[in-house]
Amino acid sequence: MLAQAPHPASETLPLVRIVGLNKWFGALQVLKDIDLTVRAGSRMVVCGPSGSGKSTLIRCINGLEHFQKGTIQLEGTALGRNARNTATARRQTGMVFQGFNLFPHLTVLANCTLALRRVLMTPASEAEEIAMRHLTTVRIPEKAQAYPAQLSGGQQQRVAIARALCLNPRVMLFDEPTSALDPEMIKEVLDVMIALAGSGVTMVCVTHEMGFAREVADEIVFMDEGRIVEHASTEDFFSAAAHPRARLFLDTILSR
Amino acid sequence: MGFDLHFALSTIPTIIGAIGATLLATILSCLGASALGFTFEMIRRGGGASGLAVRFLIDFIRSTPVLAWLYFLYFVLPFYGIRLGAMTVGILGLSLYYSGYLAEVFKAGIDAIPKGQQEAARALSLTRRDTIVFVIAPQMLRNIAAPLGNYFVSILKATPYLAVLAVPEMLGRAFDIASETYRYAEPLTVAGILFLALALIVAYGVKRIEQRLLATGRR
Amino acid sequence: MSMFEIWLGILQGLGITAQVTAYALVFAVPFALVLGVAQFLATGPTRFLVTAVIEFWRSSAVVVLLFVFYYVLPVMGITLSALTVSALVLGLNIGGYASQAVRAGLQSLPAGQREAGMALGLSRPTILLLIELPQALVAMSPTFVNNLIQLVKATSLVSLVTLTDMTFRAKEIAQTDYDPVAIYSALLLAFFVVCYPIALAGRWLEARVHPEKGTARGI
Repeated sequence: MLAQAPHPASETLPLVRIVGLNKWFGALQVLKDIDLTVRAGSRMVVCGPSGSGKSTLIRCINGLEHFQKGTIQLEGTALGRNARNTATARRQTGMVFQGFNLFPHLTVLANCTLALRRVLMTPASEAEEIAMRHLTTVRIPEKAQAYPAQLSGGQQQRVAIARALCLNPRVMLFDEPTSALDPEMIKEVLDVMIALAGSGVTMVCVTHEMGFAREVADEIVFMDEGRIVEHASTEDFFSAAAHPRARLFLDTILSR
Repeated sequence: MGFDLHFALSTIPTIIGAIGATLLATILSCLGASALGFTFEMIRRGGGASGLAVRFLIDFIRSTPVLAWLYFLYFVLPFYGIRLGAMTVGILGLSLYYSGYLAEVFKAGIDAIPKGQQEAARALSLTRRDTIVFVIAPQMLRNIAAPLGNYFVSILKATPYLAVLAVPEMLGRAFDIASETYRYAEPLTVAGILFLALALIVAYGVKRIEQRLLATGRR
Repeated sequence: MSMFEIWLGILQGLGITAQVTAYALVFAVPFALVLGVAQFLATGPTRFLVTAVIEFWRSSAVVVLLFVFYYVLPVMGITLSALTVSALVLGLNIGGYASQAVRAGLQSLPAGQREAGMALGLSRPTILLLIELPQALVAMSPTFVNNLIQLVKATSLVSLVTLTDMTFRAKEIAQTDYDPVAIYSALLLAFFVVCYPIALAGRWLEARVHPEKGTARGI
């Protein structure tokens, strides 16, 4: 049985509303009957063993993956067949990838201003101002003129966060943002994410960092084999996860 | 009738005088082949019926000799009332022929760009056009600098084909001298040496530009 | 003449095209192997000399080379048939390209292969013959197939030195029949029919030899 998430702020609008989502890669079903609501201001961590579909789920939310069944709405706009709607909905999201995916031929600053200038048609000076503000948020303004190859992995990921923030998204999506990092760099990225969470940004974060989850998240979604098997408040999840798979997962990950 | 070195030397100024035509044909063919090749590759990537048609066209071009294409354009275009100068036909022919090769170069250059780059561009809501212009093309250029340069040198070495259409480039000029003087060995040898020298110089220059390009990319 | 008769007329030149190709291979294969291996092994002045010979044949424009040898050799007192001159020039030109593939294939082998051979007490020539060359040639075989296609297409040039290959036939028919569209389309098609199967074989080979090179189609 699903443990229902508590709704302390049920009067707030659902930012993301996923109903009956199913997805197949060929014959393999990777998402099974997903129902999920992300409220504004929520800090949601999605976890689960690898291959559980958590990355695919988060990639569906901004339309990077197509799905066969169900609906995803971002502030009431449905993703899917209609390209214009998908584009509108996607603009509400910011995405941080596991592999950073910075543009190697552009400076840090240009990475951040590209979408501002081309998508939102922001004038150059204003775009740079916005970019510098977010680079300051991620504590790396001094590298604005550097190229990605000159930065460490942790620095690159912080730039990627700033880049995503520049479009002022309603929800930030993180797809295992620290999995590709060396251990000593994980903290600097998590610190930025913690600060971000403190500033009230809505976040959905796929991660194995359960320390981060415990400190930052207000709700936790546990996935296994394409299903959401546990969706609980952080406190409930850590103290009394109901599903045996979630218990097992917690035990393995916390005993590391 | 031996090899007359003095006569050979006397033909040099005339043949070098045609270097302008050779370089013009080279540069315009490089531009034409690049533009056409990139367009072909974009259409091919788009898939669908037009993608399939372009894929076949590229295979067809690569399976047929440039000389046959030059004859084809030279004789077929007027048949349909399109009258162009020999130089224009020659440039069209070289552009079309090498576009088939450059399309493959562009393909390899794009395939070498990690998939995450396109995903990041989509996640940032960039349009397909902006993704090509600001994300894919600049990275592709760096990937393909070397093979692109090699094909530009190949195009230079293909310009003497235009002599068969009576374009007055260097080989054509050498044949002009030969038919006036009934001496073939000297002007052709001179043309041969000049073409080799030109090819080596251009190859060296292309390599230098390529190194500069790669250096500036990774400041 | 009907399209079919034109096509048959052009195919009468297929024999010469095949003959020039085969004869050119007699020059190309030993040249590529010997000079490619020599460039790989040699050092100092020898290497410079080997490189110079390769670059002469590879960097010259093949059209110009053919005419130079066709007209200059008789002046030097060397009389060869048009077929031999064509095979020599086309063969050594394509052999120059192939030699670079031979060398690159040898260079890209891990040093451990040679070291393992030495550890087994094999002599240097034995290592080259039994360990290095077989691997290099297999790895580069798709490139050799491309070289072969280039050679077949380059044989169209022999029509310019009186040999009656497919291109020559097409021009011959064009003199009696004003039907450029049919004639030159048939010529292109004739080459396509010959070269495309070779290209497909090359792709099959590429997939066998380098199965890791999958293509990802994004944009």
